[in-house]
Amino acid sequence: MLVGHQVSLEELVNEYEGDEIYLQKVIDLATKYASIRRIRPDGNCFFRGFGYAYLEHLCKHRDEFEQFLVSTENNKERLLGLNYPEFTVEDITDGFGNVAAIANSGSKGIPELHRVFNDQASSDYVVSYLRLVVSAQLREQEGFYKNFMENGKTVEEFCQTVVEPMNKESDHIHITALSAALNVAIRVRYMDRSSIPGVNAHDFNGNGTNGVPTVHLLYRPGHYDILYPRRPVQGAGWLGVDNTDSSSD
Amino acid sequence: MSTPARRRLMRDFKRLQEDPPTGVSGAPTDNNIMIWNAVIFGPHDTPFEDGTFKLTIEFTEEYPNKPPTVRFVSKMFHPNVYADGGICLDILQNRWSPTYDVSAILTSIQSLLSDPNPNSPANSMAAQLYKENRREYEKRVKACVEQSFVD
Repeated sequence: MLVGHQVSLEELVNEYEGDEIYLQKVIDLATKYASIRRIRPDGNCFFRGFGYAYLEHLCKHRDEFEQFLVSTENNKERLLGLNYPEFTVEDITDGFGNVAAIANSGSKGIPELHRVFNDQASSDYVVSYLRLVVSAQLREQEGFYKNFMENGKTVEEFCQTVVEPMNKESDHIHITALSAALNVAIRVRYMDRSSIPGVNAHDFNGNGTNGVPTVHLLYRPGHYDILYPRRPVQGAGWLGVDNTDSSSD
Repeated sequence: MSTPARRRLMRDFKRLQEDPPTGVSGAPTDNNIMIWNAVIFGPHDTPFEDGTFKLTIEFTEEYPNKPPTVRFVSKMFHPNVYADGGICLDILQNRWSPTYDVSAILTSIQSLLSDPNPNSPANSMAAQLYKENRREYEKRVKACVEQSFVD
């Protein structure tokens, strides 16, 4: 499976039984999030996870769909303006569009979205489209992003070696660029072996809007999964706490 | 059965017919769109000039998200071509991205004939001669050009 089913965070707690550092963090995570959806660790997990979570969000918020279509069309024009080959840009945009169109049927489209995301070819079109969007964003804002390049790489080389090719892992630069390009706020929860108590949140605020994150991801070293926040109305969760998206972090 | 890969390959083929790049050609085999035959004409002003080099391109259902396997069928003497015809070219391996199509693959291989990269050799003899004895290198290449007429 490329994208798993939504499962309770309790499952993560069981996974870290006996691991004090992680266990403490998972318990903290469970105060904020109800469930997790696992993504296959194949180097595309950030893009696949984001794509799924964002399109699932659009299924639930159909009022945003029209705006989304406009931005997809704008992205195509941007790519062509940056001299990406027209033939393949159209193919990749179409492949993505076929999957994204499911969101137009609203919440009842979610099972179909899940099915299509587990079809390798269709699912990978979403990944390659998002990779292309990031690549375009980096090239357009080269003056800014060149400050983050390592080992003397140019932005162009970075795009050709770790953005456009499939299965190349993503880091901060990819997330910053994707959030800005699509103007979607992303909150990443970091869970690692550091001694910092709890799970840090890192917010990527699209084009500077300081809104509620649309997509929540869990980062564990080398891997991303999708997180689902507890709803404020839900009352006490299974751990007896509910401070959804507390702004304290 | 129509799949994203097959639909895309039909479009690749159509584009190659409508807008053919200079010096390369390719088409699916009669009964399998996943296996193509291609020809690259040796670029002018290189020892490969006048050669007609045949290749096979094998796609999987993961195309264009995974690269095809490209192999020379014609005998080649080139620093970046293995003895079995396999090609050492970054865009066919770790730099592959779905922004490439058949047309881009064939023109990239054509450029590789003009500009070998002797620092990552697939044929160490060819790489060594290319660097140290260009006359002998060209002689060996010309033999492949002659051979390509017969194949």
